[in-house]
Amino acid sequence: MTHPTERTIAVAGAGLLGRLVAWQLLRDGHAVTLYDAGDLEHPEAAAWTAAGMVAPLCETAVSERSVFEMGRFALAQWPRWLDALDASGLWHHQGSLMVAHAQDMGELTQFRRDLAHVLDDEPPCQTLDDAEIHRLEPDLAASFRQGLYLPDEAHLDNRELLARLLAEIRRLGGSCHAHCPVDTFPGEIETRDGRRAFDLVVDCRGTGARQHHPSLRGVRGETLHVQTAEIHLSRPVRLMHPRYQLYVVPKPDQRFVIGATQIESEDRSPVSLQSSLELGSALYTLSPAFAEARILEQGVNLRPAFRDNLPHVTERDGLITANGLFRHGYLLAPAVACHLLAGIRGRGEQPFAETLTGHPPQESAA
Amino acid sequence: MSALHDDTLTLYGESFSSRFLLGTALYSSPAVMEASIKAAGCDMVTLGLRRQNPAEGDGDAFWQILRDSGCRLLPNTAGCRSAREAITLAQMSREMFDTPWIKVEVIGDDYNLQPDPFGLLEACRTLIDDGFKVLPYCTDDLVLCQRLREAGCQALMPWGAPIGTGRGLMNRYALETLRQRLDVPLIIDAGLGAPSQAAEAMEMGFDGVLLNTAVAKAHRPPLMAEAFAEAIVAGRKAYRAGLMQQRQTASPSTPTLGQPFWHSGV
Repeated sequence: MTHPTERTIAVAGAGLLGRLVAWQLLRDGHAVTLYDAGDLEHPEAAAWTAAGMVAPLCETAVSERSVFEMGRFALAQWPRWLDALDASGLWHHQGSLMVAHAQDMGELTQFRRDLAHVLDDEPPCQTLDDAEIHRLEPDLAASFRQGLYLPDEAHLDNRELLARLLAEIRRLGGSCHAHCPVDTFPGEIETRDGRRAFDLVVDCRGTGARQHHPSLRGVRGETLHVQTAEIHLSRPVRLMHPRYQLYVVPKPDQRFVIGATQIESEDRSPVSLQSSLELGSALYTLSPAFAEARILEQGVNLRPAFRDNLPHVTERDGLITANGLFRHGYLLAPAVACHLLAGIRGRGEQPFAETLTGHPPQESAA
Repeated sequence: MSALHDDTLTLYGESFSSRFLLGTALYSSPAVMEASIKAAGCDMVTLGLRRQNPAEGDGDAFWQILRDSGCRLLPNTAGCRSAREAITLAQMSREMFDTPWIKVEVIGDDYNLQPDPFGLLEACRTLIDDGFKVLPYCTDDLVLCQRLREAGCQALMPWGAPIGTGRGLMNRYALETLRQRLDVPLIIDAGLGAPSQAAEAMEMGFDGVLLNTAVAKAHRPPLMAEAFAEAIVAGRKAYRAGLMQQRQTASPSTPTLGQPFWHSGV
């Protein structure tokens, strides 16, 4: 690898995006300093609360085509990065499964129609009957008679990934500052101890970066983490219901994440009883054996979102901001990271420039 | 000319330039919602507060987007299951949005989100006494609507069909009865899936339409908002113009001179 002139670069925010960018910049030979307002081992980032799905089709049905394109990019990029981290075992590319109760079959039809519209093509998914559903996931409740299988979707063990990235950043000599809230400026970072100059500052602070993005908002999401040895799932399963669409994602150690609610609020208080009933009953519906699962954690976090719910990267002399990954962190982070890394490296085309470059709606260049 | 077009909706003494009220849930992004509100040309939008932790104002980033739309805000009590919950939420929303308007929803059944008429009436009585401008989301039951009217509601919002079903006017007979028997503005709220259904409601003499899912879940929400807006205007014009009566016998609009009557076989 050819190393350009070494620069001093500060990365603010050690969520998924901040860690990916810091790691890559260290590999490029830069001197990187990583700051986070919270803990690094148990981050406050949405990436820690998230379920770690890389589901371009599921997510595109509720957003737009660019999300699908960036998601396809992620499906190709993640295995390369995980390989470089010697962590290929964290990647699970076994598709995802979508099921609905008999009375809610319309939801599956609607999903297919929405997806066909966004893709302008027949969506790459297969209708399954009950035998096929249970061949894929034998532990699901017997009552599911029809489902959709989306082969080209994946999930990753996100908490382990965040830990591996941090370890690698440290191994490569990155300087990490936990519990250190900062303000970011072109070529400068301000901490409680004053200002420090850098050749470049990259701001990946999510909802913490409202200083630069007045239109940025947080969208509350709630999850449950449960543990049971009675059920094995090989892939994420999504329950389609007219009022909520929840998914369960298998994790190491017989753990499962069920999520997530989506509430237009910046409320960080604990999970509400209503949400916990919804999440719990979705789990129970997927398999009654979940009834005796133990609730290990209730997660609450805010997804950073711009008004179009799409990510945006802004660049000016000495300061790059990347934000607004909304509910698509693991799906969109590779595209966003590669876009801004190409800009820093000054070579190669910046992918997805049309979507990512420029100011988010309602914000003009300040 | 002006008499022909002077046709504003009046609710509780306030005039509205549009007869289309839009809900603000379920859009793929706030940007899509804003574009839909604009395309709908609506004057009032509803917003739910129940799950936003309103006491702490945690939904404010989103509510600000609605304030910026320039529309009047109609907070609702969606998600409340008792009169008491609805009353508390209404009082909170009055303080937060500095508005006496409230769409009162008390849900009686979780599966089809059918209004609970008993809780609804109780909540409306209290809120009207408390000075609110109450728009109750109700079923098409005549006696319930009469009681709401007696309680002081100056406008009612009967459903076309259960929320989010898109089934249109499920019980035309009941809705026609409401229109004939009640002398207050009636707005069809919920259950509409197609602009033709909105036009149908307006042709029947309803005063407005409130909907959300049919627009928010369309493939192109702003275009669907525009389609509904046009249907509502068309339906209203048709109502004011006076629909012709349907007849069994064909009646040519051009006189057919020279055709003897016995051709008709009467």
